[in-house]
Amino acid sequence: MAEEAPDDIWGIAHVHASFNNTIITITDQTGAETLAKSSGGTVVKQNRDEASPYAAMQMAETVAEEVKAQGVEGVHVRVRGPGGNQQTNPGPGAQATIRALARAGLEIGRIEDVTPIPHDGTRGPKNSGF
Amino acid sequence: MRVAVTGTPGTGKTTATDLVESDLDVIHLNEVIKSEDLSLREDAERDTLVADMDAVEEWLGDRDGVIVDSHLAHHLPVDKVVVLRCQPEELEGRLTERGESEAKAEENAESEALDIVLSEAVENHGLEAVYEIDATDRSPEAVAREIERVLADEREPSAGEVSFIDYL
Ligand SMILES: Nc1ncnc2c1ncn2[C@@H]1O[C@H](COP(=O)(O)OP(=O)(O)O)[C@@H](O)[C@H]1O
Ligand SMILES: [Mg+2]
Repeated sequence: MAEEAPDDIWGIAHVHASFNNTIITITDQTGAETLAKSSGGTVVKQNRDEASPYAAMQMAETVAEEVKAQGVEGVHVRVRGPGGNQQTNPGPGAQATIRALARAGLEIGRIEDVTPIPHDGTRGPKNSGF
Repeated sequence: MRVAVTGTPGTGKTTATDLVESDLDVIHLNEVIKSEDLSLREDAERDTLVADMDAVEEWLGDRDGVIVDSHLAHHLPVDKVVVLRCQPEELEGRLTERGESEAKAEENAESEALDIVLSEAVENHGLEAVYEIDATDRSPEAVAREIERVLADEREPSAGEVSFIDYL
């Protein structure tokens, strides 16, 4: 995990990984200001092209370049969603996305799983995320 | 035959399964988990029991000819998994109307937007056993009829045909 030096500019990468799609939003450290957002697109009728690993890499590269141009050197990551970390799931998922952000030149800081948990008086034993 | 009817809370599972006409017995699993205390511990923050799925499986036993209604049903060994879907904003409204807290409605709506239950169902049972039903803007009766089509093998499996990620 990369450490923040006092002069480095860091942001937060919010990775939303659903069954067919992954969207990345990079905000400042407070979360209030959006610096870049990927156009993951809306996947309907199993348009798997938008969920391919290649598409994920392109998307991550694009947002990484956008925030690097704004001076951001690293991101802490907050992941939501199981995404594509299972064999059967077509979405590129959080792990592939984070790797792509790193390859695009951003330092990666803390990675936190904040996947929501469906509940109704009962819930499953563990977080289905990452 | 054992059929799971799963989906994020609020998608209308309990309402629809009570309307399904079939020889199968309907089990409203959440009620059983609470009354039999088939739980590992309490999640105080969410005011919710953490289910002990081993105990649930044991409770279910060899029982055949059942429809299991619960957002946890896809964690059980079953033959078919029906996953109800509902547009997150509508889902949030349905839960609030049912008297749930804003926090609970919001977390469930976010879960739906991220396809959490669908992903788990496909991971556990494979694409060939999952039948997604979009229950948005559909009456409970219409959903029940669609579930009956799954039971009668009149429908193909499907998953990922709706996308609600823009809700986030
Ligand atoms: N098809 C539907 N259309 C509109 N409202 C519905 C529908 N099915 C259920 N509801 C309402 O939405 C709420 C949630 O339904 P419920 O069956 O309790 O969901 P679940 O069992 O999936 O948590 C209830 O208040 C119910 O009356
Ligand atoms: Mg219910």
